[in-house]
Amino acid sequence: MLKRILLHATLVIGAFVSVFPFLLVVLTALKTQGQLGSTEPWLPGIPPTFANLSKLLRSGFPGYVANTLLMTAALTAGQLVFTTFAAYAFARLRFRGRDVLFWLYVATMMVPSAVTMIPLFLIMRDVGLVNTWWGLLAPYILGTPYGIFLMRQYFRSLPAGLEEAARIDGAGPLTILVRILLPLCRPAMGTLAIITVISSWNNFLWPLIITSSDDTKVLTVGLAGLKGGVGVDQNVMMAGGLIALAPMVTIFIVFQRYIVRSVALTGLK
Amino acid sequence: MESADGVRGRVSSPAEPGDARGPVSLAERTSVPASPAGYRRRWLANWYAYLFIGPSLFGVLAFLLLPLVVVLGLSLFHWELLSDPTFAGLANYRRLAADGDAWHSLWRTAVYVLLCIPLQTVLAVLLALLLNQRAKGMRFYRALFVVPWMATPIVLGLVWTWVFDPRDGALNRLLDLVGVAGPNWLSDTTWALPAIALVNIWQYTGYNMLFFLAGLQGIPQELYDAAAIDGATPVRRFFRVTLPLLNPTMFFVMVTNLIGAFQIFDTVYVMTNGGPNQSTEVLNFKIFEMAFRQFDFGYASTLSTLLFVVILAVTLVQVRFFSKRTTYDLS
Repeated sequence: MLKRILLHATLVIGAFVSVFPFLLVVLTALKTQGQLGSTEPWLPGIPPTFANLSKLLRSGFPGYVANTLLMTAALTAGQLVFTTFAAYAFARLRFRGRDVLFWLYVATMMVPSAVTMIPLFLIMRDVGLVNTWWGLLAPYILGTPYGIFLMRQYFRSLPAGLEEAARIDGAGPLTILVRILLPLCRPAMGTLAIITVISSWNNFLWPLIITSSDDTKVLTVGLAGLKGGVGVDQNVMMAGGLIALAPMVTIFIVFQRYIVRSVALTGLK
Repeated sequence: MESADGVRGRVSSPAEPGDARGPVSLAERTSVPASPAGYRRRWLANWYAYLFIGPSLFGVLAFLLLPLVVVLGLSLFHWELLSDPTFAGLANYRRLAADGDAWHSLWRTAVYVLLCIPLQTVLAVLLALLLNQRAKGMRFYRALFVVPWMATPIVLGLVWTWVFDPRDGALNRLLDLVGVAGPNWLSDTTWALPAIALVNIWQYTGYNMLFFLAGLQGIPQELYDAAAIDGATPVRRFFRVTLPLLNPTMFFVMVTNLIGAFQIFDTVYVMTNGGPNQSTEVLNFKIFEMAFRQFDFGYASTLSTLLFVVILAVTLVQVRFFSKRTTYDLS
């Protein structure tokens, strides 16, 4: 019994630590300038104020949110389409050079993005895509090796006999993929979508480097710009944080089983 | 087929259940066509396959491999963006060898990694052991521990800057309550880097726990029963049964986390901007400054190459370490 109480006590404390910063965002975002200093950070300001949120909504923030939404949607769609096709080919089709190419993909999974950032910027500069939507999207929209690796693992876990009947009936690879395999891939694609949504939404360094004007500025870059701004205090910054975190927390709550499943997809039991 | 599994394939099996014995499709089994129709089908399958991987292959070549080649090449050039690049041979590397600031930032990166990884991994294993017990509400706790993983690092930088605020921040207010005067966390050369490391630990411990939890659930109960009959204490069972059998998970978690930690940038950018007194000027931040604030793209490429070599070396050491120790194959 004592053991059980200890277990739950530890877990409650741990869970509180992991949720507390989110709580702090909400509490602080709803405080006035005066309440920031006069209340303890972990207590709410009474009465709560929406002035910080509306201040941001009257600035460039709605535009940044729209840009982030567009980027996230485009990257997720691209990732799902191109990754699925490539992973299917690697898992289920036989072609010259397949193993070498797959080895190449796995090797590029290890290439740190920090290392390729500078040359990628210079390549984009050479082809005139700096500060454009294409420049922002190009490096990720064709699918990532990690995504392909995950999807290939999943395709390989499907029984081999699935396609045979269709193949005997003369169905080509495209028909087999779309009609037979894709419906079975929904869980894996859901997981891949969630991972991509989260990483696109949170992406910072590449947008920071490649974009410079408000028409392509994303939320993370806008948020980083809040710091040190004139008249921008903790409450306003936390209001910005709330705008960025709320959609992700919602997605997490609704789709958390897909996130847990991402572990299974790596092939680790 | 085995060779295709690259780095991961070298750690033996529990990591890749489907792979060695994975399904072989019909197309694979009929790889030697017997008739003209067979040839045609095989050519068609080939053609489709290249069409399917085409876009992603273009992405890998243009946005991953080409940049890698370019960065290695550029590290041999002087280039400050406004002028044309000029070949400089090993001049940038000689500059690097004598550049105390660069070695300082490699050192600070190493300190950061050493602050994060051991603590975060040990905590994740302990948390997984706690959550692996049968009790009410475990799924709920599991979800709460994973939430930090999806939070935007830039936002976390802002939030934790507020937590670490010396006067009104939650941490020092809390310390005041117990009569301790907290330091000026982010403007203190001793505390700034550990503070940033703490954010990373907070964010990733729960997500790593998921992997260990999955690993724990894959260990057969009979092994524990056998160990118990042999009179092994719980601690001994952990070190002799649990930990060795978690090796494939440990390998994956360590490799991915180390690669990530060496590239720390976002939180440094918002929390300290490299300061105070360069104490948080980690390598990736230094590369960014060299390229996009000083426009010295040649030398920034040399620093990128250094970061690449360090990450590659650390990864290869782990591959060797774990491939020697992972000899259990229970499936």
